[in-house]
Amino acid sequence: MKKRLGIISLFLLLFIAFITIWNYSYQEGLEESYIPIEGNSTDTFIPSESGVFKRSGLALEYANMPVDEEHQRSLDTYYDNRAYPGAPPSIPHPVKEEMSLGANTCLQCHENGGFVQKFDAYAPVTPHPEMVNCRQCHVIQKTETLFTENGFAKAYAPKVGINNALPGSPPMIPHQIQMRENCLSCHAGPAAPKEIRVSHPERINCRQCHVPRDKAVTDIEVFTRVNITENE
Amino acid sequence: MLSAMTAAATMFPGILFADEQEKGLPSGDIDWKKAPCRFCGVGCGVLIGTENGKAVAVKGDPKSSVNKGLLCVKGYHQIMCIQSKDRLTHALVKKNGQYVKTPINEALDIVANKMKETIQKHGKDSVAMYTSGQSTIPEGYVASKLMKGAIGTNNLDCNARLCMASAVTGFLTSFGADEPMGCYEDIDHADYFITWGNNMAEMHPVLFSRMLEQKNRRGAKIIDFATRTTRSSTASDRSILFEPQTDLAVANAICYEIINNGWVNRSFVEKHCNFSKGLTNMGYGLEDNYKFKDKPQKIDFEAYKKFLNDYTPEKVAKYSKVSAKDIKYLASIYGDPNKKVVSYWCMGMNQHTRGTWMNNLVYNIHLLTGKISQPGNGPFSLTGQPSACGTAREVGTFTHKLPKGVVMNEKHRRLAAKIWKVPYENIPSKPTYHATEMFRAVDRGDIKFIWTQVTNPLVSLPKTGRYRPGMEKESCFVVVSDVFPTPTSDVADVILPASWHIEKSGLYGNSERRTQHWDKMVDGPGETTPDAWMTIEVAKRLGYGDLFPYSEENHVEEIYNEYRQFHEGAKHGMAPLEVLKKESGAIWPYVNGKSTQWRFNAKYDPACSNGEDFHFYGKPDGKAVIWQRPYEPAAESPDKEYPFWLNTGRVIEHWHTGSMTRRIPVLHKAMPSAYVEFHPEDAKALGIRDGENIKVTSRRGSCILPASINKRGLPTKGQVFVPFFDENMLINDVTLDAFCPISKEPDYKKCAVKVEKA
Repeated sequence: MKKRLGIISLFLLLFIAFITIWNYSYQEGLEESYIPIEGNSTDTFIPSESGVFKRSGLALEYANMPVDEEHQRSLDTYYDNRAYPGAPPSIPHPVKEEMSLGANTCLQCHENGGFVQKFDAYAPVTPHPEMVNCRQCHVIQKTETLFTENGFAKAYAPKVGINNALPGSPPMIPHQIQMRENCLSCHAGPAAPKEIRVSHPERINCRQCHVPRDKAVTDIEVFTRVNITENE
Repeated sequence: MLSAMTAAATMFPGILFADEQEKGLPSGDIDWKKAPCRFCGVGCGVLIGTENGKAVAVKGDPKSSVNKGLLCVKGYHQIMCIQSKDRLTHALVKKNGQYVKTPINEALDIVANKMKETIQKHGKDSVAMYTSGQSTIPEGYVASKLMKGAIGTNNLDCNARLCMASAVTGFLTSFGADEPMGCYEDIDHADYFITWGNNMAEMHPVLFSRMLEQKNRRGAKIIDFATRTTRSSTASDRSILFEPQTDLAVANAICYEIINNGWVNRSFVEKHCNFSKGLTNMGYGLEDNYKFKDKPQKIDFEAYKKFLNDYTPEKVAKYSKVSAKDIKYLASIYGDPNKKVVSYWCMGMNQHTRGTWMNNLVYNIHLLTGKISQPGNGPFSLTGQPSACGTAREVGTFTHKLPKGVVMNEKHRRLAAKIWKVPYENIPSKPTYHATEMFRAVDRGDIKFIWTQVTNPLVSLPKTGRYRPGMEKESCFVVVSDVFPTPTSDVADVILPASWHIEKSGLYGNSERRTQHWDKMVDGPGETTPDAWMTIEVAKRLGYGDLFPYSEENHVEEIYNEYRQFHEGAKHGMAPLEVLKKESGAIWPYVNGKSTQWRFNAKYDPACSNGEDFHFYGKPDGKAVIWQRPYEPAAESPDKEYPFWLNTGRVIEHWHTGSMTRRIPVLHKAMPSAYVEFHPEDAKALGIRDGENIKVTSRRGSCILPASINKRGLPTKGQVFVPFFDENMLINDVTLDAFCPISKEPDYKKCAVKVEKA
């Protein structure tokens, strides 16, 4: 009996020792692999210029396109398949080929848009057709039910008509434009929601007049200098 | 606002704004008045909306043929700066190191007394005025009349020396007459636009949009020839990059190709061109009191052809990093007699230690092919300031200039003396200080009183690291007139509060020789006063009241009518004020009630008198000059210790030193600070990440800025780019004050720096 107890306590000791040593070396390892993140600001307020002029060759066509009143999209439903403003929209229609990246299958309709009889709607145009792994970000929604309740509150979408600094001045861009540098894809053509469809797509150089003013930069204060000392 | 909507609807026929888009448009009674835009040299027509005595809105003037109703983001928001909290509203006089709020009349007394005292003690040449390409025509005119006519010193120069001087000397050496021969309407006719070191999409956006429109509608092509890939490059049909300073060689190689392939327009060249060469190895003006005078010498076509043998595309490709194929491609566009070509350039060619040469070389290309002075064919030098042409160049607020001609010319001095009603002997015949040398003279203690108006030299001069301590010295009394406090007003002994743009009446002249007038629209705050009136008040206090008999209410009108006498005649006639008040500007020469759109072309220009199709009447023999100008290296090139080129410039959101645009919330929020742009491969090699703070150091000084990789622009490998608008990151502490020996314009685009993580 004693012998058995001795063996058990020996194993127990060995086990505790193992745990302690393992834990210690694990912690050590953690410390060694820890690379402090530098406190430098990597705030990138300047949006990229890539793709700005990508669809500009089609601008005239956009300008001359008659508006199809019957099949206009509106902002009311625009955000429905986005988890938050700026989130990649989910795919609101059934798709085949589970194995596919998307690519040409999606681009057939979403590269240049056009009316799709089946859905009785115009296909929205992607601002980034060069990214062909569509389904990396855009997924279908197979069910309406949730696994558990979720408290995520959707942020308010930017409103139209309140983004100009002066009466009649060109509105600022109220959203992030990363991966959406090509304005025409969403703001022109029959698939563009009517509220944000630009009246002058032929202008092309959008950021000549419209500059970003999104959440990331609203905290930047107005420029005034530290005032010169002044005696009354 | 309905009018704005109708205007928009007429601009874009068939397009109606959705109801939802009209929500942000104003209601109520807005009164719209026309003006040229306050910012760049394009000179867009704007309509300013005022309501209850306040400016509340801006829209493009649909009647202006410059912009046809379109503006850029700066133009649309310009009026917002007026309301800035730190506006200079009262005169401030420094007493015991403190600025004391002073009634404007007292402050002007102090300025006049100090000026008088300095002249008595140290002579006329100890006082100086430094004005601006943003001064209105009347402002520039009274400054010139006071300094040159009344006081009798040529100590007057302006900040346009920093941006346009090479364009001026380029025009004068090639054509004998300043300013472009063509106009913006060229855009509607050209097949090719070739931009030389010029990011028009950001710097002249409204003109670039007109080009894009032609590209889309007619298939016109844009070729971007630059040292940096920019927004303009991405919108162009072709982007060709070159090594800084080698534009000289590439332009010569294009001429070589044109001659070698028999693309020369022989009859044009024989009838209308001469060949000349000038001095070479001119130096770079780095030393104080540097002097240079070119000695032109006539040569013949054969000699010119022989000179070009050093510039075959293959030879030039080796150091310009432009492939021989691309050089031949460019030459073939210029050489094709069936293609109309416009060349555009601005600071890339002007801010160049061989800026005059570079301007000459592009003229050579257009002269050899006869593609000049015709709708859609021509070289076009763009300007950066709203009245660099109208005031700095036409009124002549340079040390060597008079409203008509130069101080060195007796006839010109006599004309000025007659109109100014001063003794002819008053106007000295020798130019004194150009901008850079003027501030060197302040630093040396030679200038003991300086008055700056509408400009911010301690942000915009090259090598501010020398000139800031120079201006702080006790030896010089500094008067600064401005709308906002700036790093320049920080060193002032007296700060005078100036009226902004629409708080006064005025006239500007843009790049296409268009003179534009505007009326005062709103009252300025506090004791703000128009610059012209402050100059007049000081002149009166100096005892020159009878030379400045203008009234406070009407001085703009009175001065313009006096000034117009200088330019009477078919070569430079200015439109009368009644016309300018009614129309959105008029182009000089304004002859028999008509603007002259293409000068030197007998079909359009009534001043042509030789009976030929073209007449370059700026030169005594009526012929333009094709100049033999070689490639010479930059004043400072990258080496082991300082391995990068530093290039500086602008961004679309900000204008020049940012004293106005940074006070416009929309623009500041879109671009709150400067940055240093890297080529991604350079950044990778140095381990630099986007947004990381980087110290940029030259032999003059250093500046810390966040890195920018793959954002707004992409410099060529071995080059970094920094915009200069940010007074909190003074990149001009780093730049070099080397200048073109002929134009005396500094080169802000090339010096050597090293970079390290800060």
